[in-house]
Amino acid sequence: MGSAIGIIANPVSARDIRRVIANATALQITDRANIVLRILSCVKACGVDHVWMMPENGGIRHHVRRGIDRAENQGLTHFPKVEYLDYKISGTVDDTLKAARLMKERGVAAIVVLGGDGTHRAVVTACGGVPIAGVSTGTNNAFPEHREPTVTGLAVGLAVTRKVPPSDAFLANKKIVVRINGHEEIALVDVAVVTERYIGARALWRTETFRELFVTFADPEVIGMSAIAGLLSPVTRLDPHGLHVRLVPEAEANILLDTPIAPGYMRGIGIRDYAPMQPSHTYRPSITDGSIALDGERELSFTRDDDVTIELVPNAFSTVNVSGCMQYAARHGLMRMTPHQKTDMGGQ
Amino acid sequence: MTAPNSTAGIFPLDKQGLLEAYRTMRTIRDFEERLHAEFAKGDIPGFVHLYAGEEAAGTGIMMHLNEKDRIASTHRGHGHCIGKGVDPKGMMAEIYGKVSGSCRGKGGSMHIADLSKGMMGANGILGAGAPLVCGAALAAKFRGDGGVAISFVGDGGSNQGTFLESLNLAAVWNLPAIFVVENNGYAESTSRDYAVAVDSFVDRAAGFGLPGVTVDGLDFFAVYEAAGEIIRRAREGGGPALLECKMIRMYGHFEGDQQTYRGKGEIDDIRANKDCLKLFSERVVEAGVIQRAELAAIDRDIGAEIEEAVVFAKAAPLPTARDLTTDVYVNY
Repeated sequence: MGSAIGIIANPVSARDIRRVIANATALQITDRANIVLRILSCVKACGVDHVWMMPENGGIRHHVRRGIDRAENQGLTHFPKVEYLDYKISGTVDDTLKAARLMKERGVAAIVVLGGDGTHRAVVTACGGVPIAGVSTGTNNAFPEHREPTVTGLAVGLAVTRKVPPSDAFLANKKIVVRINGHEEIALVDVAVVTERYIGARALWRTETFRELFVTFADPEVIGMSAIAGLLSPVTRLDPHGLHVRLVPEAEANILLDTPIAPGYMRGIGIRDYAPMQPSHTYRPSITDGSIALDGERELSFTRDDDVTIELVPNAFSTVNVSGCMQYAARHGLMRMTPHQKTDMGGQ
Repeated sequence: MTAPNSTAGIFPLDKQGLLEAYRTMRTIRDFEERLHAEFAKGDIPGFVHLYAGEEAAGTGIMMHLNEKDRIASTHRGHGHCIGKGVDPKGMMAEIYGKVSGSCRGKGGSMHIADLSKGMMGANGILGAGAPLVCGAALAAKFRGDGGVAISFVGDGGSNQGTFLESLNLAAVWNLPAIFVVENNGYAESTSRDYAVAVDSFVDRAAGFGLPGVTVDGLDFFAVYEAAGEIIRRAREGGGPALLECKMIRMYGHFEGDQQTYRGKGEIDDIRANKDCLKLFSERVVEAGVIQRAELAAIDRDIGAEIEEAVVFAKAAPLPTARDLTTDVYVNY
């Protein structure tokens, strides 16, 4: 008996202004659909029989359907049963939130997410503790690790069918909670405080507006806001703390940091100071009026009349430990086949 | 609350610029709302296609342009005309088919043009603006004056070969041409889902080697920021790009459209929650940069201006038979 999983593939990630200012990737819809098909065949190979998909009108669904139809025409059976959630598509992040909630209700064992950091954030907001596995199809993408989605699909299949024990299959992650007058939003990687008071094109690239940065982890091998912290003082996803960085205009900086804040887009960042961000401690923005960017996108604006708090929360949600799953699979021979014989791992 | 003197670091425009943006959007909205009412009386010849609901896109783009920059519009061109600086009185008279109109009453709603403002014309032929813009952009490139040319097309019109050929030409010649897809979700009455095989307009651009950007066309600031970067890049020799604005129209494809393809409550939802003018007003007032009274004063001004335009248009004479043979050819 196989487990069901969910797949949420965002058709509109990697579409913002960074295509123009920074030659960023614009992953095509057909590529996203092909990633979904690769994941479908891998989870099926591990014993997953049923997949719930988020409906969207960006075109991924049509290409996935054609791919499945073509396989069936050829008599191939390497895809699980695929069903789409049934609701009116809004074309906004509400689709992602609704899909995550409905997948939780349908009891999926994990949700595979195709998107950028923002898409992953939306899924975590609404999935009610269901483990997620990330595939990067966005722009900066500090949260989903970069690897061939085939491997992510295999790891998800191995994890949800319990071929890999939970202790190896899943990881706990930190998140940051931002509250404005009691209204709560989260970030998986970074919260940036900027002086701009409008959401606009959402992306962050005007470094002169940056004032403060809070991160759950700081990786020097990523780009974007998290890279600022990562190049100052690396913090891993497993460390109990995060990092708090105070930013200033270049002329007032104690440190001037050359940082890739978008793909191929190097900018000098003025740093006043930085310190570990302690879990369960309440921080407040250092400016009274501005906007808050969550995982690299301006989302909320605030004024001196608003009560804004920022807090690091440990053990906040679960992800499929792709590396852990594949290492376990190798050590325990999960992928080995008997000559001339199919295994329960597939091998069609 | 006292309005701050400077919007630096808060908004991408100073206070004067924000008021100008509102004035342009309000002019477009009132112009179209009035046309909606006047058309129903049966005095206006031909078809009209209203831009109401889409003001943030046209305005957010046009505020980066000067009179030397050229645009080529669509059948839904009133908003582009006003954004580009064409006189609303002349436009109104043109739509009424009067001699005092921008094109002496010979163009009507779908062919308003004013070359003195860089407005090469609304266009009744879908996708026909894109090749014109390639020509204008080529001229700007030869002149070397930093000029740009912008083509507007709807999601339906973007399926025309002329549009796709123009993407190719602009990329090959690295023209300062910008292709704006105004995606309001309906090609007349046909849903985009049904009619467009490659569902992403950004993908289409990528297929021709152009960068493409999608923005929320209801958010003036999103459009203004994205268009600003795209236009700056084109002026500096960075080449063509595509900008998809996701937007809605408040009225039918044309006046008289019964809109049976709309979902139940769709229009009410648009008026209540997706009105780009409301969204803009709330943002600048909440930030304390502009007072509601300042916006109300603009509303009064524009109301009077549109009333004057309608009175002027109705009173103006119609062309005569002798006018049929004038303005047909142009000497270069």
